[in-house]
Amino acid sequence: MSKGICPVEPVMPTSWRKDNKPHKFCPGCGHGLVLKCLGQVVDELDLQDKVVFGCDIGCSLLAWDFFNLDAVQTHHGRTTPVMTGIKRSRPELICIAYMGDGGGYSIGVQHLVSAAARNEKITAILANNTQYAMTGGQMAPTTLPGQKTETTPYGRDPELTGFPLQGQEMVSAVCREGAYVARGSVANQRQLKSYLKKALENQLAQRGFSFVEVLSTCPTNWRTNAAETWEFVQEKMPEYFKLGETRRPADMRGEGLANG
Amino acid sequence: MFFNQVGIIMSKRIVEAYIGEYAGGKSENALNRALELAGLGRKVTLVDFDIVEPVYTLRPIQNELTARGVTVIAWKTRDTLGLGEAGTTLKPGARWALKHQGDIILDIGYGVGGARTLRLLEGADTDPDLQVIAVINISRPMTATVEDIVEQVREMGRVNALLNNTHLSDETTAAVVQEGARVVAEAAKLLNLPVVASAAIAEVAKEIGLTDCMGNPVRSINRFMQKAFW
Amino acid sequence: MTEKIIEQEKRAFLTGNEVVAWAALAAKADIMYGYPITPQNEIMHYWTRLAPRYDKRFLQTEDELSAGFTTVGGVLAGRKAFTATAGPGNTLMQEPVSMAEMLRLPIVVVIQQRGGPSTATVIYSQQEVTMTTLGGNGEGMRVVYSTSSHQELFDYTIKAFNTAWKYRFPTFVLGDGYQAKMREPLTLYDPESRGIELIKPEPYVGKPGTPGVDRAPSQFRNTYSMEEELLEIVNQYMQDYGEMAPQVAEYQVANVEDADLVIIGHGVVFRAVRAAVDNLRARGLKVGYFRPVTLRPLAVPQIKEVFSNSKKVLVVESAYGQLARLLKEAAYGTTAEFLTMFRPGVGITAEEVEAEVEKILG
Repeated sequence: MSKGICPVEPVMPTSWRKDNKPHKFCPGCGHGLVLKCLGQVVDELDLQDKVVFGCDIGCSLLAWDFFNLDAVQTHHGRTTPVMTGIKRSRPELICIAYMGDGGGYSIGVQHLVSAAARNEKITAILANNTQYAMTGGQMAPTTLPGQKTETTPYGRDPELTGFPLQGQEMVSAVCREGAYVARGSVANQRQLKSYLKKALENQLAQRGFSFVEVLSTCPTNWRTNAAETWEFVQEKMPEYFKLGETRRPADMRGEGLANG
Repeated sequence: MFFNQVGIIMSKRIVEAYIGEYAGGKSENALNRALELAGLGRKVTLVDFDIVEPVYTLRPIQNELTARGVTVIAWKTRDTLGLGEAGTTLKPGARWALKHQGDIILDIGYGVGGARTLRLLEGADTDPDLQVIAVINISRPMTATVEDIVEQVREMGRVNALLNNTHLSDETTAAVVQEGARVVAEAAKLLNLPVVASAAIAEVAKEIGLTDCMGNPVRSINRFMQKAFW
Repeated sequence: MTEKIIEQEKRAFLTGNEVVAWAALAAKADIMYGYPITPQNEIMHYWTRLAPRYDKRFLQTEDELSAGFTTVGGVLAGRKAFTATAGPGNTLMQEPVSMAEMLRLPIVVVIQQRGGPSTATVIYSQQEVTMTTLGGNGEGMRVVYSTSSHQELFDYTIKAFNTAWKYRFPTFVLGDGYQAKMREPLTLYDPESRGIELIKPEPYVGKPGTPGVDRAPSQFRNTYSMEEELLEIVNQYMQDYGEMAPQVAEYQVANVEDADLVIIGHGVVFRAVRAAVDNLRARGLKVGYFRPVTLRPLAVPQIKEVFSNSKKVLVVESAYGQLARLLKEAAYGTTAEFLTMFRPGVGITAEEVEAEVEKILG
């Protein structure tokens, strides 16, 4: 780290690895914000010796050595079963499956839905940036109507390719008592952090499946400046992807579903 | 009224369902029984009631059985698709098998359902002649001990009798069968059930004699199922 | 609950799939992950019946991709994990196996081959040889044992766990639908009572201590940015594989010294080959057999020797040349006439092999 440019070392979660920072995500990428919230939660819950962190293929793979946590980078869409396999073998470990919307809602959707239906006691975190970023910005299940991507060069036409997949609602629909399901956003980190914390606490309490979709940013592929990026994630995306909690175990502390 | 060598009352309709552990010898005993009865000049219908693996049981040797006077209700190879994966596994005619005249021998397939498979058979509850016979081979690890047999037979549901089918394929000796006879008889006593017979391949059966060491009849059987795979 | 699984050696009468379940127990496997497909289903049926008695676990997954990747997870967690599949399931299984190759994960996969291509048949085939030995987008960094009897299914399933954990390459036991459903006696035994040491598993992740505090984090990836970086890894793995090969490769050979013709077959077909050689010898024909037990790695020096010392070699398989293709590579540079008897997806009897040999030797 170049101390010449930044004389004061930024505050990083204890569970982050410092030796390989700054991280490799693009400027303005939402992953860093999600992983910061996650790192803080791991710190607060004192889980550094218990977590196994799994990440998918896509930009999320860059998180493979992000933390001072045992970690494995898996195949595209397969992080959910790998973490399920670990959890089933070693229930004492806290297993986090980190993926993008392509991995979770497209190529690995059967794994995500099935893990939710079985109430696997793992925590899945899905960053939704409305397209496939690492492969160069193709349409994803989450691409908004009219949104231009490399495979929808004239904008996504729902007549041809359907409407954005409401993945969090889909997961929520197959979950049962004991599951925690929420959708947060990098635009509201305090809320996001509280969702991630509950998602991990739920696994710690061995209640059931925990899932947090995070509305995230990809200025590189969106070709947006900072203001446009923020407008997209804060204003546009929630029009299709409602923020809030949709499932919460009955015995989880706090008031009802925390929405908005 | 007269008796054959193992004491079958010739005038009475015989309805037997062979159930039991996977690979315990249900099919082999069912078809040997059917052939035995047909050999006595009786009218016999043999029913493949294996809903899990119809391919591996009676189907491939139907023609041979038919030629020997047994009416067979089972799939023909060409009639099925996917061999128990993609095809219908219960032949509709099997459901009504008890309506046939004469003796009826049912080969009930394996599965955790056990004797509950008989619910798929019309009239099973009310047929006055139906005997459900559990086939036991103590060379199979899941039914190796008295306790295992008792536990398993109790889980099967309706069972009227046990049949000792203990063998080790080509390595079977009289001692192997007799050890089975002892263990099965002890289990039968705990279950308060009769043992209908000990089954053994012809040469071993001959060596043992008409009754096994527990006084139960010995059924001499021929092995057909090896052909059934092809 | 936990007790010794096989108290004393005994002859037992089993189907092949049951043998696998008992062998996995005897090998101290911890967990099975699986998805139903004929003809391997009874491996799961018997594992699920037996597992709770010995404090073992099972997870039925949503498909074979998941079965493979959960097995990968089980191994990462430091448990002896295995799965079983066949045919189209084996096709899907190649993806998790390739990750296991890249991360050197000792997953054990039992394949009961079925007919192909596509869904095809379920009883008899050797058409998954190419896929099982060389499938996935990689270099075939796996060990494949091809069994021909229930005793071997038991022995090699136990051995597969040891090979996998010793060398850290994914390991297959390759059977077929016929072996899966066939019934024959075998001896069940406790490997440790026979002096076979069972290699203990170790965790890749979830190790003791706090990462970054007591120790470095244990982190694994299968993605590389630089070709040179990947080249170094793959070269290292292939070197490891090459060093392992002579220790792992197994074969059976008989009557080749004076043979005019050597018959080669593997798996269940080897039973017919062996019987044919016995019968043909009794009739005065100079024939021998060679049987690869490991299809990957092959016993290359021994194969070269057979192909160098024989005038004719007849490869017999229930596939259209999947074994023959492997043998051709191993025997490259030798001179024996290469004859084949391909019966894709159907059984081969000793009589059929004998007839073919008599035709050849006229």
